[in-house]
This record gives sequence, C-alpha cells and structure tokens, in this order.
Amino acid sequence: MNAIIQDSVAGTLESSDVMVYASPNPGGGRLITVNSSVGQQFAPQIRASVEAVLNRLNIEEAALQIEDKGALDCVLQARVKAALLRAGVQAGWEELL
Amino acid sequence: MEPQVHDFERVYAGDAKGVGQIIRFLDKNNLNIDDFIEVFLVLRNDLGEIIACGGIAPGVIKCVAIDDGCRGQGIALTLASSLIQLAAELGYHQLFIYTKPENEPFFADCGFYPIAAVPGRVVLLENSPVRLKQYQARLAALKQPGGRIGSIVMNANPFTNGHLYLIERALEQCDWLHLFVVGEDKSQFAYTDRLALIRAGTARLSRLTVHEGSSYIISRATFPCYFLKQESIVHQCHMELDLSIFRTYIAPPLGITHRFVGNEPNCVITNYYNKQMRIWLKSPEIHAPPIEVVQIQRLEYQNDVISATKVRKWLGEGDFEKLKHYVPESTYRFLINKYEKVSV
Repeated sequence: MNAIIQDSVAGTLESSDVMVYASPNPGGGRLITVNSSVGQQFAPQIRASVEAVLNRLNIEEAALQIEDKGALDCVLQARVKAALLRAGVQAGWEELL
Repeated sequence: MEPQVHDFERVYAGDAKGVGQIIRFLDKNNLNIDDFIEVFLVLRNDLGEIIACGGIAPGVIKCVAIDDGCRGQGIALTLASSLIQLAAELGYHQLFIYTKPENEPFFADCGFYPIAAVPGRVVLLENSPVRLKQYQARLAALKQPGGRIGSIVMNANPFTNGHLYLIERALEQCDWLHLFVVGEDKSQFAYTDRLALIRAGTARLSRLTVHEGSSYIISRATFPCYFLKQESIVHQCHMELDLSIFRTYIAPPLGITHRFVGNEPNCVITNYYNKQMRIWLKSPEIHAPPIEVVQIQRLEYQNDVISATKVRKWLGEGDFEKLKHYVPESTYRFLINKYEKVSV
C-alpha cells in the first residue's frame, strides 16, 4: 500500500485549473472534499476521477481537498498526481500515465 | 496587451527598502504591516510601483492588497495561488486569513472557509472545510462525564507553583478539568518543554486531561497580539475571535461549563483578555452554551505573587535559591539541569 507522509499542494486557483491539497489521514480512509465552480454539474465526476487516481496508485488513506475552477479531467488528474507525489507517494512512470 | 504571466517578486522581512515600499503601499490601502511576516510577494507595474502584495507569517496569510486600478485583471487569483504555494514551500500548510467582512467572498473563492467573525469588523477563515471538524471530533473522544467541566488555557513559561495552585483550586470546583497548553513556540521555553513540565508537575493529579496545543486556542492565528505584548496593539477583535472560537467549537465537544483564570496584577494584555473573557463567554450574541468564568486569587510566597515572569528573571540572574520556592520540584530539576551547567 502506498502512503501519504506529508502535506502538499499542487495547482492554482485560476480559471480552468484546480488546486489540490493532499495530507495524511491515518486510520481515516479516504477523505475527499470537492469545492468546484462547476460542482452542481460535475462534482460526482470529479470525485470519481480522484478516486480512480487513488485506486491506480494503490492509496487507501488520504485526505484530499479539491478546489476546482472548472479544470478538464486531464488537468484534474495531473494535479492530483502531482500533489500525491509531493506528499511522498511512490509510483513508477507507467502508473502515472 | 496585458502580460499573461504575473511575475511576483519575493521581498523578505530583512529587506528594509522593499519593506518600506510595501508599508507605503499597504498604507494607501488602509492596512498595517504585521511583525510576523517572513516574506512578501509583490507585483510591480512598468514604472516599478507596487500594484499588489501579500505576506506570509507562520500559518497565516496577511496584508493582501491589490491596487484599485488593477482589479479584474486576474491578479487576485494568481496572487492567492502563489501565496498558498509559497506558504507550502515554507512548510505552512494549515493557513488562516484575517480579513474584512467585505473580502470574505473573494477568499471563499480561493478555497478559504469562514470559522468565526466579529460582525462588521473582521472574519477569520482557514484553507480547509474539514480541519476544525476533525479537531472537534478528536476532542469529543476525550469527553468526560460530569455536570461541572472546567477548563484552563495556559502558556506556563515555565510551569510554576502558581499554575499548580490554579489547577488544584479549579479541580476542587469541578468534576473534570481540561487543561490546554498554548502551542506556539514564541516563548522563552519551547512548547515541548512547557508541555513536559506541565505533565510532570500535574502527574499526581487525577480528573485532569492535558491537551496539546492547537492553532485554534491562543495561537498566532486566533490571537496575534498576545504574542506581541505591546499595549498599543491590543486588538479587541482578536480577543473576541479567540473567545468566540473557544466557546463555539472547543467547549461544546468536551461539555465545558467553566473556565478558570488567575487574577492578573501585572500584564495589561492578560488582564484585558480576562475581562473580555467574562463578556464573550457569556454574551447572548454568540450562539453557543455560555461558560462561567471563575477568577482565582493568585498564590503568593512571602507576600509576593508567584509568576513565571519572576521565575524567568531569577533564572536570568542565576538565582536558583530564590526560584526554588516558586516552582514545583520537577520544574526546578529541569531548570537546574538545563541552565546551571552552563553558568557554572
């Protein structure tokens, strides 16, 4: 299992981007909060996309805060991956594709 | 064509010229500079004049201002992003912002969530929608049964017989006592040492929980002027916010009904804080159960009020004989071990 060992942040608050905070959540499973300018329409998809990245990197315990400004899914995934790597997650390049 | 990439320049607290320019820019925007800021981000126009700035103090974003003529150019969100990233680079992930109520919507757009407000004056926000709730859940797990649940918040710099006396008198009046230690490392004695001395000095007492420091109780975030200790900047708003957070978020999960304080003959700020406490822990303006404030007369030794300030003074003079009567055995041993070797 892959673990988050420190706090991190990735991304910006500008339009079409997303800021992702990652922090350890020992014993608390996955805690994902989504605050999105397009949340009414897309919050479930954003959440599913974040879950998919966590699944792929085999991360069971993490607190992720998503401050979204209407980012495309590819941008969202890239920002989540960047935040997780900065937070101490280990991953091979093929897992990050 | 406006430049699309805003290049922010870093100005460190030691840069007198840069900070001077920032002070003048803040002054134009009706803001004061803050002593705790370590680094500023600054944006200039073609003439080299500052048109936007923001500062980072430990755990707090401060002094954010943008020139009136430059609003609506996307500067604000870039500045906010850059400030959050720089704070993270400095190791500050938990961030607070103090701002005027009219700026709350902007910071809400930047992922900051309101915690407490002094209506019409100031709002405190933090960059997480769940952190305070998680802290409350940890407190709730430590709840103890009883109808009279007491609380004390202390810095204990260092732990004296006066602190011990306050705790013992409080314990006589309640079923359980929650003791909160101020968590900031702004005092002569490090937080870990202060905490260890409180634990050692109270080890034989029962019905007592010692809580580790938190950024929600007398921290540089909730109560900046406490750590400045200058009369001129006593800020009533800060006290009101700190007490409102205590009453609204900290006390309910533990069922706290009483808060105990020692009377304060010397320190103006602490004295004023104690007065504010009697107002805000009871005021019907705050929607949370009221908390009874109980003031306890300070312990004296040979007609002399015991205080940590005096202990620090004698420590500075190397007078261990004198301070021996003012601190518990555990604190005395700690002080001897830490300081006497150096002076001999």
